[in-house]
Amino acid sequence: MSDWIFPALLLLGGSTLLLFVGIPVAFAFLVTNLVGAWLYLGNEAGLGQIVRNGFVAVSSFSLTPIPLFILMGEILFHTGLAVKVIEGVERLITRLPGRLAVVAVVAGTVFSAISGSTIATTAMLGSLMVPVMLARGYHPTMATGPIMAIGAVDMLIPPSALTVLLGSLANISISGLLIGGIGPGLLLSTGFVLWIVIRCTMNPSLAPPTDFESFHGWERFRPLFQYVLPLLSIFGVVVGAMVAGWSTPTESAALGVVATLAIAMAYRALSLRALMQSLRGTIAISGMILLIIMGATTFAQILSFSGASNGIVEVITGSGLGPMAIVAGMMLILIFLGIFVDQVSMMLITIPIFMPIVQRLGIDPIWFGIMFLICMQMGLLLPPHGLLLMTMKGVAPPTVTMAHIFRAVAPYVVMSFIVLVAVFFFPPLATWLPGTIK
Amino acid sequence: MTRLQAAFGRIYSFMMTLACIVLLVIVGSIAADVLLRNVAVPGLPRGLTAANDISEYGLYFCTLLAAPALLRAGQHIRVDILLRAVPRQVAWACEWVSDAAGLAACAVLAWMGWIMVGKSYAAGAMQTRSLVVPEWWLLLGMPIAFALLTIEFVFRMWRLAHGPVEPRSDAVSAA
Repeated sequence: MSDWIFPALLLLGGSTLLLFVGIPVAFAFLVTNLVGAWLYLGNEAGLGQIVRNGFVAVSSFSLTPIPLFILMGEILFHTGLAVKVIEGVERLITRLPGRLAVVAVVAGTVFSAISGSTIATTAMLGSLMVPVMLARGYHPTMATGPIMAIGAVDMLIPPSALTVLLGSLANISISGLLIGGIGPGLLLSTGFVLWIVIRCTMNPSLAPPTDFESFHGWERFRPLFQYVLPLLSIFGVVVGAMVAGWSTPTESAALGVVATLAIAMAYRALSLRALMQSLRGTIAISGMILLIIMGATTFAQILSFSGASNGIVEVITGSGLGPMAIVAGMMLILIFLGIFVDQVSMMLITIPIFMPIVQRLGIDPIWFGIMFLICMQMGLLLPPHGLLLMTMKGVAPPTVTMAHIFRAVAPYVVMSFIVLVAVFFFPPLATWLPGTIK
Repeated sequence: MTRLQAAFGRIYSFMMTLACIVLLVIVGSIAADVLLRNVAVPGLPRGLTAANDISEYGLYFCTLLAAPALLRAGQHIRVDILLRAVPRQVAWACEWVSDAAGLAACAVLAWMGWIMVGKSYAAGAMQTRSLVVPEWWLLLGMPIAFALLTIEFVFRMWRLAHGPVEPRSDAVSAA
């Protein structure tokens, strides 16, 4: 038995077993690290190394965008400004088949550009729009599917906290990943709109055309100029500053928070209560992610010291498979994992093995990272445990069953897979825009 | 025990508030740095050199300050697919295993943290970035946070023993 097989089984198998027993992810990795550090990092000295690593792992400037991107979204949701986007988009889109479903996708795309939480986007659009669509005779699959689908796309379009986490853990350019997610994200949004229009044209009973209050002249465009464009200027600040090379992702994120606070104050929507709710919500999500990073950094280090990483990499790269076949295999593993585990655990389990392979094979890390993100966003939609399916069930009226939700999401999962395949065979879809960064 | 838990709850809540303030300081320092670098303000330096250190140390302290409160609220995410699939009694037993493992890990880290703080203090080790501070100031957060996490795991087990025989409804995703 090769030297690396036992540590690989102990560390990867042990952490996976602990995860499935239900230990919080951060503590599952801390437990595994303690055993691994004792065995492979020199007993007590190894345990001391975990303490030092804990400090080094999270005191990193490149991780700072995580709380800052989350804070931007929290402020917009707690001040009620995000809801204004729906009104602005609804007045613009008038005579399309499946109009409200299209409004949900377009409004969701705008939310994606100003916030970084897939759950918040799905929950807000679901609670506000699904009851309205059902009341107007929309089939439950047409009322829920587009909202879940666009909620998942939130992960691809910056600002996205999970993208920063992926970049940081995998040592991939964070700006590159953030910018690179825009293309596939917009491609998916456009695909969703086309699908809705085609489906509702072929089968109008899915979304019966109903009367709606139409606005003319300035009134039609007023919410666009009053709310949507000023809110989108936050996206302009964050992405524009990065693309122009004026600031790092961390600095762009801080400017984004300042812009969000300024806009919320300009609308007189920022109360002390809303600010505290936003800060507490941000600390809750980012504190949890950062504690996981504390464990994850040492986990990768022990995996490497024990020889497990190298052993697995040697076996895979020496298998005779070509780089494309290996990358395709890694994507299939990610999609499979997405059925069972959350996005953070997916990264922690796979990155220590996948990234050395990516480096060994000379694969473009941005291209790989964007496909990684697409797989993770698919995981949010995959039955039976996809998180956004549960989120939708939680906010939709009781008449919407789990069977409706499973059927609703199927075409959007297929579209995500098609975009994944497209990026796989045509890398510039992911790498062209990051290549323009100064 | 209930009053003791409530008392610790107030400590956690205070720590969360501190973390919120630290987060605002991070935002303010980075924004001030970018502003001062790009706009010449008479009487002020071109850039805030300590901004990087403030955000890095701030992130570390935010993590430690929030950890016990998040454990109390069940907001440290986990994978519950197996717990939902097995009989309730088995899932409940898994919760005990989970809490015992968490308790042991946090206790060891609290203990090792104290040892590392002592060693760093004795060696007079300094963190020399833009801000120069004794290393033990920074390391001290680890044993305190993990000692509180150890205590909270005890509370969790007490609540598990006195609650219904079923898995908890803790958070399952950060997305």
